[in-house]
Amino acid sequence: MGSTPEEKTASVARKIAGTQKEIDRNPPSSLVPANPMPSVHGQPISASIQVRTCDGLPERHLVRIDVGIRDRNVGMKVTAFAQLGYRQFPADFETRYDSAVDTPWGLVDPREVRAAHRDYLDGLMLAARSGFDGLVVTEHAQASYDMSANPSLTANALAYVTESEGLEVAIHPAGRSLGKTREPLRVAEEYATIDTVSGGRLVAGFPVGLPYDACLNNGIPPMELRPRFDENLQLILRAWREDTPFAWNGKFSQHASVNIWPRPQQRPRPPVWLTGIGNPGTMQAALDLDFGFNYLSFFGAKAGERVFARFWDLVDKSGLPRNPYRLGMVQLVGVAGSDDEAARIFRPHVEYMLHKGPGAVSTEKQAIPGTISLAGLQALMRDPGDFGLADRLRTIGFDEAVEAGAVIAGSPRTVIDRLGDLVRRCRIGNLHVMLQLGSMPRQLVFDNIGLFASDVLPALRGLWADEGWEHHWWPERLGGRPLQAVATAKTVGAR
Amino acid sequence: MTPGLDIRERALDVWGGRITMRVKTAGEGPPLVYLHAASGLIFDPFLAELSARYRIYAPEMPGTSTGDPNAIHQVDRLSDLVLIYEETIARLELPVAPVVLGSSFGGMLVLELASYFPKLFARVVVFDPIGLWRPDLPIANWMITPASELPALLFKDRGCAAARAMFTPPPDPAVAVNQIAGMVWAQGCTGKFVWPIPEKGLSARLHRVTAPTLIVWGADDALIPVDYAKQFGDAIRGSRVEIVRDCGHIPQAEQLDTTVALVRRFLESG
Repeated sequence: MGSTPEEKTASVARKIAGTQKEIDRNPPSSLVPANPMPSVHGQPISASIQVRTCDGLPERHLVRIDVGIRDRNVGMKVTAFAQLGYRQFPADFETRYDSAVDTPWGLVDPREVRAAHRDYLDGLMLAARSGFDGLVVTEHAQASYDMSANPSLTANALAYVTESEGLEVAIHPAGRSLGKTREPLRVAEEYATIDTVSGGRLVAGFPVGLPYDACLNNGIPPMELRPRFDENLQLILRAWREDTPFAWNGKFSQHASVNIWPRPQQRPRPPVWLTGIGNPGTMQAALDLDFGFNYLSFFGAKAGERVFARFWDLVDKSGLPRNPYRLGMVQLVGVAGSDDEAARIFRPHVEYMLHKGPGAVSTEKQAIPGTISLAGLQALMRDPGDFGLADRLRTIGFDEAVEAGAVIAGSPRTVIDRLGDLVRRCRIGNLHVMLQLGSMPRQLVFDNIGLFASDVLPALRGLWADEGWEHHWWPERLGGRPLQAVATAKTVGAR
Repeated sequence: MTPGLDIRERALDVWGGRITMRVKTAGEGPPLVYLHAASGLIFDPFLAELSARYRIYAPEMPGTSTGDPNAIHQVDRLSDLVLIYEETIARLELPVAPVVLGSSFGGMLVLELASYFPKLFARVVVFDPIGLWRPDLPIANWMITPASELPALLFKDRGCAAARAMFTPPPDPAVAVNQIAGMVWAQGCTGKFVWPIPEKGLSARLHRVTAPTLIVWGADDALIPVDYAKQFGDAIRGSRVEIVRDCGHIPQAEQLDTTVALVRRFLESG
């Protein structure tokens, strides 16, 4: 790779298979497509996009995108997972502050906050244009490591732009916490709107919620976190499903008439995914309710592998097939020309992210009394393995993070090998790749996404195709075969 | 736990049979009800002292009794909790109206009960109760305080014998796990009714407390500022306020002798 930004960009552009990308110094007038943007499903299209960055620097990407359905419907789903972190904290941040709940706003430059928002969205859109199967966003209020207070806002923007550009990607807020929300019907409406705007591409994520986020940021009594999740989930599913208004007399909310507009496009409902970090109860609920299960943590592969083993054990005990598409995980990834180059480039940004992000949330805010059952507390105190690297993230070095599997960085070959090995061993059918992280500047994010798309993604996409599973937890429009949709189709066909 | 004390337990089915309240009893004499603080019931030297003159009835908050953690899920709101305690006290069939003592969270619960049921208790004693809130006098959130900072939050002299006794885990790791997990869970159970701000309308009800009331407060309480003692004193007509010097949040532990003397003088004065 060259040393100037232009050379770097050009280098990446050359590498994007089947695509061209060039930097044009002609100053663009505004953020509008320079060329008409035909929405052609199944056909390659060319798209030229002119954008102006927050600080006024013009950029011009000429991107040739193959949006064909082709073989994307077969094999593992690979999505771009992003969080919206503040990127310019001082070096000693984590020794003085927490990254959630009480981080002083006075530390920030508002212009950088704006730039971070723009780069976050641009990175996700670049991923959408580069052939990723989906875009994954998260919710963390009052958090400097993820300023995405409501992922529905981002998801709906992505739904609109991807729809207008004809990009066949899933929109996956991973998503709105149902232990946290006091307005579950608002969540039902937001997701239904995203599903409508995206034309049925929503993958609906419902985490229980982080204790600090739900309890400290939204005042939910810790003991109510899970009961609220359970009730809110039932209300949302019913609000989506029912054709006629109904009354809801819940413990946490009462409604004389539930009749949300719009209902989702996907009938009877969009695919639903629960999020967890190892609680067997959450995983069993996902299996019982025919939801997917996302393991979203930065605690390293060792902790993850314990959880995945537990998950497949529960699948076996439930008498269900070992369909890899019911499981997803997030993985931090950095790709560069060589392993040495990757270590050199990504080291500061990975350390920034782990130290000043999840590593800088104190344990007391993450495990508030009442959020973990007594049996769970006793089990975790006897064997804290599920927390993996959690208590070391604030100080962990890049090499240790790589060694522990918290990050995979290297040449495309190395990344393909390590990701492929992990995915195969743990039967991951949905890989959420985090390529924009920590303090990574805009161009490095683009380089990382571009190189992953060109040199890694094609090698991963076909994984699991040989086993012949159908993806029941993915939108039908994107090639998924939701079980309820299948059942409905059969009924219709029989008549 | 005080060695040599004969502590018994009564199990009472209440709340339509959905909850079994476990009430620890010890001592002989007139009935004394004791409501424990946020981390669960500890039969400490203070209760041992009182058991020489009183028969102590110490109910365990639903969810905090050994082997029955899910009882907490049968209690949806603070007003229901108050009714559950009233039912429990009624089920004890005490010969006379008892005196009542409560510490911190238990102090708030005592004052809620005395507000709802003004004739339930003969006399009321509270140690550093929660239940009021002034924006200029923040109350520490003990549920997210790191374990390493708890001694300083609860004691003025974190090296005193009572503090050491409270924060030295049992030598057997298995026992320690169960004890610490039990205390964390108890905080979750009690926290259900006071999160995120331990003020649930008590100030509007305090005028209903008519039993003679003693408010005891550690002068150096780092969890709830001592200024709240006057707030409670002003709100409860005819109450007495006693400030204990060189003392943190738990006067009955950090200044045992002084506190026992204050309590006895009050209980035996009328």
